[in-house]
Amino acid sequence: MVFLSLIKESVLFALQSLYANKLRTFLSLLGITIGIFAIIVVFTIVDSLEKNIRGSIESLGENVVFVMKWPWTFGPDYPWWKYMNRPNPEYNELFDLQKKSKTADAIAYRVGGRRTIKHKGNIVENAVITGCSYDYYKIKSFDITEGRYFTENEVNAGNNVAVLGSKIAEGLFPNNQFPIGKEVKIAGKKAIVIGVFKKEGESMLGNSMDNQVVIPFHFAKYILDVRSESAEPYIAIKARPGISNAEMKDELTGIMRSVRRLKPMVEDDFALNETNLLSKNFDVLFDIIGIAGWIIGGFSILVGGFGIANIMFVSVKERTSIIGIQKSLGAKNYFILLQFLCESVFLSLIGGIFGLLLTYLITLAARGNIDMEIALSYSNVILGLTISVLIGIISGFVPAYSASQLDPVEAIRSN
Amino acid sequence: MKVSERPKIISAICIIGYISVIFTFPTVFSPAIKKIGYLVPAIYGFIVACNFMAFIGLWHMKQWGVQLFLFTFFTKTTFFILINDLGASTIAGIISSVIFSVILLRFYPKMDVNL
Repeated sequence: MVFLSLIKESVLFALQSLYANKLRTFLSLLGITIGIFAIIVVFTIVDSLEKNIRGSIESLGENVVFVMKWPWTFGPDYPWWKYMNRPNPEYNELFDLQKKSKTADAIAYRVGGRRTIKHKGNIVENAVITGCSYDYYKIKSFDITEGRYFTENEVNAGNNVAVLGSKIAEGLFPNNQFPIGKEVKIAGKKAIVIGVFKKEGESMLGNSMDNQVVIPFHFAKYILDVRSESAEPYIAIKARPGISNAEMKDELTGIMRSVRRLKPMVEDDFALNETNLLSKNFDVLFDIIGIAGWIIGGFSILVGGFGIANIMFVSVKERTSIIGIQKSLGAKNYFILLQFLCESVFLSLIGGIFGLLLTYLITLAARGNIDMEIALSYSNVILGLTISVLIGIISGFVPAYSASQLDPVEAIRSN
Repeated sequence: MKVSERPKIISAICIIGYISVIFTFPTVFSPAIKKIGYLVPAIYGFIVACNFMAFIGLWHMKQWGVQLFLFTFFTKTTFFILINDLGASTIAGIISSVIFSVILLRFYPKMDVNL
């Protein structure tokens, strides 16, 4: 009960101080506000970017290994001249892998390229055309809102059918026209729309299904130069449940080497890429951004802490006689200490809450202008409030302690 | 009991302590600590704040300063064991804290009992 009345009294004192010296308090709290804002806004952006990129990486497929020409490794020692002479993965290799692999659950071949797609007067330029084998749907995670995916016969026969991304469908069939069964022209070749993918939103890796048109591989041969490097062909292999990627990679290395007839001492002429390789590279990037935000925000908070300490010293000086009266009436040292400490924490919290509010407003503004979800998470709110409370305790403790040690007689005489 | 003046060794410990708090405080909201868990920065921050208050107490030759110092030492060590952070800097910190504790306990009876 005493503690509650103590907190109430401290909050009232803090509010009184805010009201009596608006400009002084505002300027002192500005440091905390800017510090919390800087740190939390950077953490929020990093978290949102991380979430988006991880989502994009996951959409490539979990537990999936990609047989490709180029490895997904970065760094200064990248022997590109070696990789340049490697052959591209071929469609026939898909069958060898399907025949020989015991660890794979699904295997799909994929090529891509950008072409113009038309429907009557509506044109979508630079649409991503994806030519794939039937099992592609087992590897890439996507949902279809209207229509259906290909049948195995359609894929094997190379029928001119297409599943459109939501953005492509909106561009070709505006005003909520029903696209299923309609004819579109992909680089001049006719295709029947059989399905539309569910809207995904922008992807940081540029692999959102919204901008893609998926067609059977044998039909893609008429539209894309599937043997060219620009088609970025790859074979994607998903592991069976309970099989690790490492186990599957060992098996795939053996199969690919035998398919390409590589002698024992000859280096692999293919790369086995995993999505976690991409994640690891992004982890480093996010850590650097996080540390940069932490340093910038840290300095602002340091300055803000000095501001709070200053305001508390002034507060103690102004209320010295009141402290004297309180002590002469029986107030204990700890009571005076807690009173000023609570006030300092409260002031710091106000600064922190303003910083969080500012961050929230920025995320709201960004939501309308950026095609990426930026959200202030609970963990960041907790972190912001924690930092505010800590700054309040650390910067307010010395003034509060000096107030608690005042001699009541001298304190009363001070005025 | 008469409270003695602050010995130079305690002044030195306090100055080292203040400097260490200045360097430790930013780690409370570092991305590495944040990654461990939602409430980890709050717990670690509480320990750092208590450590700072302990050094203020020691500066004023108060017994509660020693008590708070020992409390934060044990809490911090437990915290580091729980998050499995027992690197060279943590071990160095633990060793220096043990040395400080021995010195502080030697002067404990000469310190002020009051707040």
